Amino acid sequence: MSHAPLLRVNLKAGYSGRLVLRDIHFELEHGEVLGLVGGSGAGKSTLVLSLLGLLPWRGGRVTGEVLLEGDNLLAHSERKLRTVRGRRIALIPQSPMSALNPAISLQSHFNEAWRAHERHAGSALASRVHELLAEVQLPSDAEFLRRRPGQISVGQAQRVLIALALLHRPALIIADEPTSALDPVTQSQIIGLLRQLNRIHRTALFYVSHDLISVLQISDRIAVLDDGTIVENLPVSRIGEARHEATLSLLSTLPVPPDVLLNFRGRAALEAQPAALH
Amino acid sequence: MRVKLFAAYALAALVLMAAAVLTAPHASYSRQDREAPFAAASRKHPAGTDALGRDRLARVAAALLLSLTGAAVASAATTAAAAGIGALAAFGKAHVGWTAMLICDVFLALPWLFLLMMVRSALPLTTSPASSAAITFLVLAALGWPACAQAVYRGARNLRNSEWMFHARAGGLRSAQMMRSVIPNLIPLLLPQFLVSIPAFVIAEANLGALGLGIGEPLPSWGGMLLELDNSATLFDTRWVYFPVALLITVLLLLEAAAGEA
Repeated sequence: MSHAPLLRVNLKAGYSGRLVLRDIHFELEHGEVLGLVGGSGAGKSTLVLSLLGLLPWRGGRVTGEVLLEGDNLLAHSERKLRTVRGRRIALIPQSPMSALNPAISLQSHFNEAWRAHERHAGSALASRVHELLAEVQLPSDAEFLRRRPGQISVGQAQRVLIALALLHRPALIIADEPTSALDPVTQSQIIGLLRQLNRIHRTALFYVSHDLISVLQISDRIAVLDDGTIVENLPVSRIGEARHEATLSLLSTLPVPPDVLLNFRGRAALEAQPAALH
Repeated sequence: MRVKLFAAYALAALVLMAAAVLTAPHASYSRQDREAPFAAASRKHPAGTDALGRDRLARVAAALLLSLTGAAVASAATTAAAAGIGALAAFGKAHVGWTAMLICDVFLALPWLFLLMMVRSALPLTTSPASSAAITFLVLAALGWPACAQAVYRGARNLRNSEWMFHARAGGLRSAQMMRSVIPNLIPLLLPQFLVSIPAFVIAEANLGALGLGIGEPLPSWGGMLLELDNSATLFDTRWVYFPVALLITVLLLLEAAAGEA
């Protein structure tokens, strides 16, 4: 068992002179689920872009280091970074409907994502897609794969995006508010699914959200982002020990005390498995 | 929708009728009936003959097919060029896009009618009728792309900043894959551009022809036929013949516009 963390982050980032992330410092272990909560404008999206090396595309600048298994991603060229994205770090985006190319079929999405990192498609891809769609509880028949993104529901689109993220068996998945566009029932199904997939594959998950309830439902550890710094970072079981005022004001928005939610989470996870099929 | 369908059928019927007129036995747009110049409608010449005794019906039919085909080919060429240039400008580095759009603006600012006249008049008098037709439409195509390229640029620019493009980039897709994935999304933009350019080119060719700068004789063109109108004596004698030509152009343009409406 190696003791080097999967991800070690130490960075500052901003847009043309305006620093958005002042001092970000955290680690993520293999197979762990780290939930990051923060209000609007706290810098969550900037952090996600920084980790993927995509901040320059949105006109930003990042300094410091993002060590993925000891390998500093920020020191890599764009060419090298491309081979990391989707293969070692994958993204589950915020709005499922707009994150899929409306003009091509679901099958084409898998083909393109596969070809980004693999030379040969063929039967390896077909069996992988079949396996993934079963895991995210979607039909894998030809008729379904021929559909365009506009012909499936939002919940199905989010499941397709989860399958796409898992395609190359990444070590880390970044989920950027993956449930904010979904209705409450679909939301809890997706959270159950992510939790289950994390347990099966031991893929580490960096779950970013403004919604403390969903973060408490899914995470092993919770970090609070406030005004460009991580002000709290502790296991969810010890959430009662939080002392920073940003964390306390987040906790005060909960309808019930956090330990009730954590207690409920254990039962919900058991019940969610058969219910998630639909 | 119903209007669009009707227009498409009517346009197809017009083209079929023109083809039928031309494939009829003894039909020729260039054979001169020396016995009957400026003849009125008869069994032999249903729409009469022109100053050289050529059958007007056959000439109108041939002009329709020629101008529609030429305009369609020119429009396809100009749309393809615009798609390439617009997409390249949108996905290239910032200065590439900036330069491309500047060139478009310069092209749009050019007095294209004078340019057409200059290009056309620079051609030697011995230019064959077929190449005069090809050159006319080529020049139209060469001048038609900038407006379309700007529309493609704006569309592709929006796509570049779209969520799904961002997600594709986050999935590590290669640049070539990203470019390829954009093309199907540009079709709803390119198809109307292609369709609206056709009537624009038909009318441009007719205008050039009416100035004597279009397709060379003996090939028929609507502009060329209208050119005979500059003799007011002829105009007075034969107005019943020219009115249908003008009417036909109007109908054709209306039908194309209706069929092309996205």
